[in-house]
Amino acid sequence: MAGVPAVRISIESACEKQVQEFQPSLWPWDSVRNNLRSALTEMCVLYDVLSIVKDKKFMTLDPVVQDPPPPKQVIKNTDIDLDKKIPEDYCPLDVQIPSDLEGSAYIKVSIQKQAPDIGDLGTVNLFKRPMPKSKPGTPHWQTKLETAQNVLLCKEIFAQLSREAVQIKSQIPHIVVKNQIISQPFPGLQLSISLCHSSNDKKSQKSASEKQNPEDHLYVLEHNLHQLIRECHKQTLSSTVMPHPASAPFGHKRMRLAGPQAFDKNEISSLQSNEGLLEKIIKQAKHIFLRRRTARTIDSLASRIEDPQIQAHWSNINDVYESSVKVLITSQGYEQICKSIQLQLNIGVEQIRVVHRDGRVITLSHQEQELQDFLLSQMSQHQVHAVQQLAKVMGWHVLSFSNHVGLGPVESIGNASAITVASPNGDYAISAKSSANVTKAVEKKHETVRNGPESGSKVMVQFPRSQCKDLPKGDVLQDNKWNHLRGPFKEVQWNKMEGRNFVYKMELLMAALTPC
Amino acid sequence: MEAPPVTMMPVTGGTINMMEYLLQGKAGGQRGAGGGWGAAELCVSGTGSVLDQSLESLLHRLRGLCDNMEPETFLDHEMVFLLKGQQASPFVLRARRSMDKAAVPWHLRYLGQPEVGDKNRHALVRNCVDIATSDNLTDFLVEMGFRMDHEFVAKGHVFRKGIMKIVVYKIFRILMPGNTESIEPLSLSYLVELNVVAPAGQDVVSDDMRNFAEQLKPLVHLEKIDPKRLM
Repeated sequence: MAGVPAVRISIESACEKQVQEFQPSLWPWDSVRNNLRSALTEMCVLYDVLSIVKDKKFMTLDPVVQDPPPPKQVIKNTDIDLDKKIPEDYCPLDVQIPSDLEGSAYIKVSIQKQAPDIGDLGTVNLFKRPMPKSKPGTPHWQTKLETAQNVLLCKEIFAQLSREAVQIKSQIPHIVVKNQIISQPFPGLQLSISLCHSSNDKKSQKSASEKQNPEDHLYVLEHNLHQLIRECHKQTLSSTVMPHPASAPFGHKRMRLAGPQAFDKNEISSLQSNEGLLEKIIKQAKHIFLRRRTARTIDSLASRIEDPQIQAHWSNINDVYESSVKVLITSQGYEQICKSIQLQLNIGVEQIRVVHRDGRVITLSHQEQELQDFLLSQMSQHQVHAVQQLAKVMGWHVLSFSNHVGLGPVESIGNASAITVASPNGDYAISAKSSANVTKAVEKKHETVRNGPESGSKVMVQFPRSQCKDLPKGDVLQDNKWNHLRGPFKEVQWNKMEGRNFVYKMELLMAALTPC
Repeated sequence: MEAPPVTMMPVTGGTINMMEYLLQGKAGGQRGAGGGWGAAELCVSGTGSVLDQSLESLLHRLRGLCDNMEPETFLDHEMVFLLKGQQASPFVLRARRSMDKAAVPWHLRYLGQPEVGDKNRHALVRNCVDIATSDNLTDFLVEMGFRMDHEFVAKGHVFRKGIMKIVVYKIFRILMPGNTESIEPLSLSYLVELNVVAPAGQDVVSDDMRNFAEQLKPLVHLEKIDPKRLM
């Protein structure tokens, strides 16, 4: 080994520096040398530590008490105390729920009429809804897990809604305060969606009994929210998203065809659903509100006005965004004869589309007054249509008929309609005009005078000249035959006529003027 | 390196530079079984039943860890095309088609060189471009000057967890070129790949991948395998 300088490693104590000299690596035993060197360093360190520990001045060795291994949780049958009764629902499985999922939660959706003051925003308006009782057979861990799952789902729904409320730009911005999202679907109307999470402590249970009206809560919309979020999950987890071939990126399989089949912008946007959860639920809320108000309008008219009668047949099959109702205006006792006015109302999200029996299509806005005025005008038109049908049955001839007369004073609602009919032998003629004059119901002590379209009806009868006593006799008409012509009109005091409704009265009048 | 002769420029305006994050491993043996798992030869650590058993337990575990969907199997045929230009390294494109699903488009993929980045990054990151094409892709590539280098059939299962895709598959060699019916498995082990395609610069993705890979130990050890080291 002459000629090769030896490797000198001087071993010093831990307090002195280590001096090392070695040749740069031209040596085949390089790795061996390095391994030996590191082993030596480790040994030196260990030696130093042991010597310090022996000194007991700066470091000592302390034995550690070994914990016995934890006993297994399996309980043998022989270990159970046979004297103590095992509860029926005993189950060794225990569930631990994280603190933010404890308790129970639900989403409260409600529509209120007036917008509250700014100070009311953000009040945690929850009431403890009694939890649905689980089936007696379910183990306690199952109910615990199900409740926790429900809390998690409600939190996810609310998080998604509030994210969209902040991101989506709408005309009237949505307000997100604490656990509540407030938006205005219609002017003067407020939709609030709140996450009500009540924990299980006894303290909060007592204070949570607010005087909130549970009628306010729209259960349908809460259910729909749950349904919508599950649809969302199903979309992401459906097998249409999985890539085939396996190296392809994730994404709906129809979108993958967009490239090879050269879809245009319209096709691509039809594949992507643009509406978020919040928009959908607001549309549904609008529809529900519009439908309720339509029903209320029809019902209030039906209870207020006895003649003619209004009937509503609601369709069983509805959509979340569309419902339909068939409205019939009839006179009692004459349903088979007078059925001209039949309206099909399609209630959408913001508008009501009315299809008339005669083919007209009218679009009404969400204003309540529009629908009411329209129905009132239809009711007044019904009276005149009824006279027309009655005339056919009674054998009277229709001389003139108009749905919208252009003469006379301007009506407050719609137009007046009028009809003139002549008796079979031509002696008499009846002229009736109907308008939708609605005055408020007047209650005089025990007497209630109901005013409706009937108050706007005017009936006049034309008698033959021979029966008119106050006609001036002149020299022009010499012949007696001219006396058989009809003379001037005289008004009938309609409110003194016998008969329960307009058509009945008209029938009696016609019968009275038809000589046997 | 100069631009490849065939321009595979993305459509102007609107594409994000996508990167593929990749972790690979092999399934087929238990870690403590003495045979180890690393090299392909040692994977044959037992009879066929042991292999199936370890695959079954891996699939079972993946079923539990990943998103709750019906398990998806696939049968794909991949062809690798090369374009030899003046420069030393040829330009590689991978064309893959699904053999069990008829109407789906073919998948053309370009994978760039692995990014030399943070040594601490746990996954292999490389640039990737994915294109869905119609089924006359091979004719098109041949006309453009590409030549098929090799092909294989991959058969296995695919799982997903959020944006992560986990593929467990076996590679089959094609005995007669062009005939995908006569195939034989290349080895007795299954290849496990965990990959994510994400926009460039999101390194938190590789941490999520590592956390997921931890959960698959000791059934399979996923690590970043540099393709250059294997060649």
